[in-house]
Amino acid sequence: MISLMRYQLLNYARSYQYVPPFSIFVLCLIVNYTFTPNPILDSFSLTSIMLFFLMGWFTITLFHTEDEGQKTITCFHTNGSGRYHISLFTIGILIALSLSLVSIIYPTIIQAFAKTPSFAQLLLGFLAHFCLAILGMALSALFTRELVNSKQNTWWGVLSILLLTLVLATLKNSILQIKGLIWLLPPLHLSLEIMNSGDQLKTIPSHFYGRFLWIVVYASFIIYLFFLLSRLKRK
Amino acid sequence: MLAGLSDPDDGMIIPSTQSLKIGYVPEITPAHILFTPTEYLYHMGRIRGMAKQELIARINELLKLFYLEDAQDTRITYFSKGMKQKIMIMQAMLEETDLLILDEPLSGLDLQTQNDLEETLRSLKQQGLTIVLTCHETKLLDHLVDTILMIRDKNVIHADLFIHSTALYNKLIFEIADPTYLDDILHLMKIQQQSSFATGSYEVTIRCQAQHTDVLLQQLLHKEASIKQLMPIHNKEKFIHND
Repeated sequence: MISLMRYQLLNYARSYQYVPPFSIFVLCLIVNYTFTPNPILDSFSLTSIMLFFLMGWFTITLFHTEDEGQKTITCFHTNGSGRYHISLFTIGILIALSLSLVSIIYPTIIQAFAKTPSFAQLLLGFLAHFCLAILGMALSALFTRELVNSKQNTWWGVLSILLLTLVLATLKNSILQIKGLIWLLPPLHLSLEIMNSGDQLKTIPSHFYGRFLWIVVYASFIIYLFFLLSRLKRK
Repeated sequence: MLAGLSDPDDGMIIPSTQSLKIGYVPEITPAHILFTPTEYLYHMGRIRGMAKQELIARINELLKLFYLEDAQDTRITYFSKGMKQKIMIMQAMLEETDLLILDEPLSGLDLQTQNDLEETLRSLKQQGLTIVLTCHETKLLDHLVDTILMIRDKNVIHADLFIHSTALYNKLIFEIADPTYLDDILHLMKIQQQSSFATGSYEVTIRCQAQHTDVLLQQLLHKEASIKQLMPIHNKEKFIHND
């Protein structure tokens, strides 16, 4: 598995397909923190939504780095496409982890906030970025070529589902009218609610952890769905 | 299905009792491989779980075998289609392979590259490697293959002929009173069909090597068999097109 991950990571690095989303990520961070001081949690909330969208781009380019022919060969050597995709998801998680850390470390280092963020605020910031990045990756994976044949549908699909997730988060109150539906929809709104708590927050309430956990559980379910659908499609 | 990459729609696969090491070359040759041959083969070998030292030695061996030592530090993406096809065969042979599967190996190659590839495959065959390939062209059928499985309308027609063995084969149809008379000469022939007549005699269709045909005919005449037809089997391509 380590050899497979090393190969896929090197292949992705040499493809330079990560350059556009990474450049936009860096640009957004710089622009967002150009004027100081900034509110802490609100800024983290904004950059976490940005990361949620950019992870869609990273995911598609990562999953499509190899062409179809090479993918068949790599899967053959890997002894099945299951381990092949687990490795890709692991690399996606590592990208999400790295960018989440950069998103909270960079503004702290350049002192972009009015006061130094507390550990609780940094932890909340990290969790918001990481959980939304994982959610963005999981939702985008459903539109990779493993499940969607047309390249056009891939990009439209990813953009649509990520935008829809954000729109639904803002329409949460209307959706609540339909009992149970809120649990089926991507839980982006949970992170937005937490990050709307204000900078006066001293400690993290325990139910916040439960909400972040639910985002990760939801993303895990989507990833499971990816494997299930890809197995069905192969048959 | 042979390579284990897809499941059958219907029926079941009965696996070999011996574990076979299979090498697979897909129909679509990857267009952009961003590694040099050495790097690429190293990664593929490591993904397979091969030990480092063994893998490096094998890569050097393969580079020599396929005359790619001079190109080992050039990225594969800059290679010609024929050279890329060679790399595909090399990755399939990283481990000592029992069976090499090639899907449409000549597809999209120019004539010169087709000849080069045919030469490579012939060399591998002479080294004792079993090769299974699919093709629409008859080029490889002319000079390389021993046995053809022709697929038409979801049916497999097994043309069990051996055009490239040193001995040619003959097909013989004869009538004989009792098939048990053949027991002592069965080693000279392979019975393909046998049917009985109302008269109590039998019509038998056999295949035999050309070099054994004279002896066999003598034996059959001695056993009072009546020879109906004798025809050489030497042109498989003609057989396929006429089928």
